[in-house]
Amino acid sequence: MPTEQEHLEMIKAVIIDGEEEEAPQVVKAALDEGVGPLTILNNGLIAGAGVAGQRFESGEFFLPELMFTGRALKAAMAVVTPVLQSQHTAQAENAQNTGVVVMATVQTDIHDIGKNMVSSMLTATGFEVIDLGVDVPIKTIIAKAKEANANIIGCSALLTTSMPYIRDLIDLLDVMGERQRFKIMVGGASVTPDWTAQVGADGTAANPIGAVNLAKRLIREQTEQQGAAAK
Amino acid sequence: MTIYSFHDIMDRARSGPYITEEDWDLQQVAMTTRKLVKKYKLTWNPAEIVTDDPGLADAVFEAGLELAQKIGAYSRTTERIIEFEPAELEEGLRRMPQTLVMGEGKDTRTLYARQIMDERLPLIWAGTPGTPTPEALFLPSVMSWMQEPIVDLVTCGSLAEIDGREVRTADPLEIMATRRELQYMHEGLRRVGRPGMGMLAAQSAVSELGDLAVAHPGYLRPCDSHLVPMLNELKVDHRNLARVVNSLEYGMPNASLVCVIVGGMGGDAPGSAVVNVASFILGNLTSLADYQLLHPIHMRHVATTTRSTLWVENIVQQAFARNAPCIIVTDVYPKSGALTREVLYETAANAIVITVGGGHLEGVGAADGNLPNSTGLETRFMGEVGHAVVRQGLTLEEANGLVLKLLEKYEHVFDQSGGNPGVRFDRAYDMKTLTPRPEWQQLYDEVKAEVRQMGLAAL
Repeated sequence: MPTEQEHLEMIKAVIIDGEEEEAPQVVKAALDEGVGPLTILNNGLIAGAGVAGQRFESGEFFLPELMFTGRALKAAMAVVTPVLQSQHTAQAENAQNTGVVVMATVQTDIHDIGKNMVSSMLTATGFEVIDLGVDVPIKTIIAKAKEANANIIGCSALLTTSMPYIRDLIDLLDVMGERQRFKIMVGGASVTPDWTAQVGADGTAANPIGAVNLAKRLIREQTEQQGAAAK
Repeated sequence: MTIYSFHDIMDRARSGPYITEEDWDLQQVAMTTRKLVKKYKLTWNPAEIVTDDPGLADAVFEAGLELAQKIGAYSRTTERIIEFEPAELEEGLRRMPQTLVMGEGKDTRTLYARQIMDERLPLIWAGTPGTPTPEALFLPSVMSWMQEPIVDLVTCGSLAEIDGREVRTADPLEIMATRRELQYMHEGLRRVGRPGMGMLAAQSAVSELGDLAVAHPGYLRPCDSHLVPMLNELKVDHRNLARVVNSLEYGMPNASLVCVIVGGMGGDAPGSAVVNVASFILGNLTSLADYQLLHPIHMRHVATTTRSTLWVENIVQQAFARNAPCIIVTDVYPKSGALTREVLYETAANAIVITVGGGHLEGVGAADGNLPNSTGLETRFMGEVGHAVVRQGLTLEEANGLVLKLLEKYEHVFDQSGGNPGVRFDRAYDMKTLTPRPEWQQLYDEVKAEVRQMGLAAL
């Protein structure tokens, strides 16, 4: 029988290798043999996804590898999440998704590689990502974010002439009185920190790892703001 | 069955096998490419950017053809696969134009299918397709390259704003912006005395609206052309097919633009080259293209001047020159911008790779084509380097040696936070005389002498 460490190494390996079919099986085997779900999550799944992310950043992995890792992680999470939820422990509470992010490439733009990378990395680090795809009308993005009670809206546009639709989305949230409800992160080849500030978004990042760090920071800020408002 | 009609493409886009886009990306493109890279044993050496290995070029071509045969193209609109029989793809390759007359009158030029180390000069297609350009800079900047005697054909950036208003894609202002762009282009050509020069234009037409708005001899003439992108990777959609049929009906050449992401679905450089070959083969049919635009994009650095993007440009050109000669126009999009020494090194390296490998030269889309930081001077340099390569009869091996020396001069820019964008057009050129400012002229003179010293004596 494999030791706990061996189970975790196997889980890490299938996540790194992006084995979508095998991932749920090795997770189930570990659970059956008594490895804790939180240990599996932190030391197996997220650790494996972290390695995949590092390899992508270093140029050892390319986009498909990252996407396969995202798929394997999703399949594995489908096994481990119900177990975590059924335990109703404080630890399980801590292991809930870091936040809900609605991602989209805005209307008239169909470029999605950057957005897909960020979606994969956010998923790999525990966020619940609702990826609406490309060429998504801003009204749809807002409606889905409200429906999912999202923490963050992530908007992407590569085309300079599609970027103004991100500004329109933020303006629309403003006039709807919903701007404070969501944190907004933006991305795209021509998106700069200056432009981000100019349109009133909450942040941008130069790469997928930076986007994950930004999302974590925005969630922290949101929690603090909500806490302050509650007082 | 032979593809002769646009109806064939539309019919197949409506009736082909269904597949989700994510499965297309991962199962079809990524997995099949990975297998083909292994099957054909394709590798690349970052120290051999310009390869002298006919077997490798042929293998890349065979793998790309097999990819096109195995998976076809994908319609994003209908989520269907547009399939082709092997015989149709091969017939398509045989039918690719070998020459194409662009422009009119004394400014007419003939594009032709170039060979590896071709003894004929490449055509110099000046401009920065896609670069968002403020309206006030548009005319002077395009004139700065239109006026260069070495330039044969012209293109431009897109108008990001008109009359002080932001232009949005598929917005009514896109129609105005595209028409305004063409008015400026004709005005510029008239002012430099080259009214008949052929154009690749309607760059402000990010959607099909702009294209439709300028299909008129007062804007885009039948002797001009526009581009139809193949979407990443191996995808088309109805909006871009609308551009195709618009120009077919109008009688204007289609350029099939392929911007494979190097490090994307194809993986590393060899897989990306395979995807690029397949994209040309399929785009040739889905766009019924008259010529191919080659513009690999680096996953992180964007520029065409990284080692891997240069390698892809080199091997794809060689693959077609040896196996299916066609007109390839290859883009020069450096990381650096105007008034930097590096933009000239990058331009030189890129122009050498393209010229010796069998392409015509298009650019310079300085600063990743992201900022209006391009001028006529680096375009002149691109043309001069391309002509010098031919005049000197540079071999593939010699070209590689030169490119490696140039890479040493500029590769640090990829590690610089914020890139190396240089300055806007109006800070590098005198806006009254449309000549380079003295400091920009001096940099050009110095780098030109340096590149000559490096071994391009004919420069």
